[in-house]
Amino acid sequence: MTCAELEILLCDYVDGTLRGEEKTALESHLAGCSTCAELAKDVAGVTAFIETVAPAEPPAELLTRILHELPIGRPADEKRSWWRKLFGGWVHGILQPRYVMGMAMTVLSFSMIANFAHISPRQLRPSDLDPVKIWASIDDRTHRMWDRTVKYYDNLRLVIEIQSRLKEWTDQEQAQSTSPARKQGDEGSKQKAESSTQKTDGSGQKPEAGTSEKKR
Amino acid sequence: MATVAIPAAKWNWVPPYPQGRTANNLDADAQLVERCLAGQDAAWEDLVKLHTRRVYSICYRFTNSDAEAQDLTQDVFLRVFKNLKSFRSGEGLFVVWLTRLTRNLLIDHYRRTRMDRATESIEDQVKVLEETTAVLARTDGMLAGREASEVLQAGLQRLSPELRETVILRDLEELEYREIAQVLNVPEGTVKSRLNRGRAELARVLRRHKVRI
Repeated sequence: MTCAELEILLCDYVDGTLRGEEKTALESHLAGCSTCAELAKDVAGVTAFIETVAPAEPPAELLTRILHELPIGRPADEKRSWWRKLFGGWVHGILQPRYVMGMAMTVLSFSMIANFAHISPRQLRPSDLDPVKIWASIDDRTHRMWDRTVKYYDNLRLVIEIQSRLKEWTDQEQAQSTSPARKQGDEGSKQKAESSTQKTDGSGQKPEAGTSEKKR
Repeated sequence: MATVAIPAAKWNWVPPYPQGRTANNLDADAQLVERCLAGQDAAWEDLVKLHTRRVYSICYRFTNSDAEAQDLTQDVFLRVFKNLKSFRSGEGLFVVWLTRLTRNLLIDHYRRTRMDRATESIEDQVKVLEETTAVLARTDGMLAGREASEVLQAGLQRLSPELRETVILRDLEELEYREIAQVLNVPEGTVKSRLNRGRAELARVLRRHKVRI
């Protein structure tokens, strides 16, 4: 018996269904061929191991799910609606809620982008689809929107109040920082004024006399 | 001279396959199909109840995912509902027809999800094998029941789809060689050859992870 012949008979041998001369020839080959003996050992070992394996049990709800999904009660042809007969099975996949929702969201997104870019599908021409033109349009819209936003922000009453209050505070601070220098300037001018009055007092009793005379 | 140390019990083992499906069962399948084709709701329920476990088991062992196995099982029965008219009881067994249908769906699914598996399988296998190592340390290499099932699952995923489906159909679903040949549409010799290679590969994988076989 050759190794190839043994490979064909090995399954029956492991099953225990091999009898007679074939079984004897196979066993004598196994005794003389270490490769085939190793193969037979592996095959028998795995078969014994798999026998100890627990069966894969389906969950209880699977049966209910299948029975719910099966259109039991009428022949399959009657269950198919007219449009499904017309368009075939591929429509069934597309009309699932998740795909319909996805398509709706895509259309909505594109319409919002088009609205933002002021692109009307009715007036759309092939030249409008030029990437440079689209980019220039988007850039222009962005700048305009930015300017509009800045203007709106500046015109807000709250912003104006805050800005005016901040201006007042900075003015006050500047005034406080400049006030010592002004004091010094005032004191100097006062001293000057006093010295000038003293000078006038020496020869200046005339104005007072003049006034007293007037009073009289 | 090589010494063959094969479990002694295996050599006296009587194959349980014919006992699994008796002539009565086969008649029952044929009658059930007839009743389904006649439009009896109760027959459909019986058919689903009778074969859900087999279909789910094949799908779960092949995909290694409970969710995918459930979805595929549901798809299988929807397809059975649509195509039962094409089944001819005179041409073969209903079980073989159902298994072939399941196998075709599994192959379609396998091709469709090839890219997903390329990214996910490595992490999953590492996780399973880490758990296996922990279990083996506790049980001294001897596994049974649910733990053995998990280890087998990890091992099956290492086999090529051809070898995997052959091992599943024979060792787990207990189909006969002739039936497997009909399902896979290959000669019986090819089935036996694939089975030997699949089992030997599985033995190497299990031994590499210190499972005593």
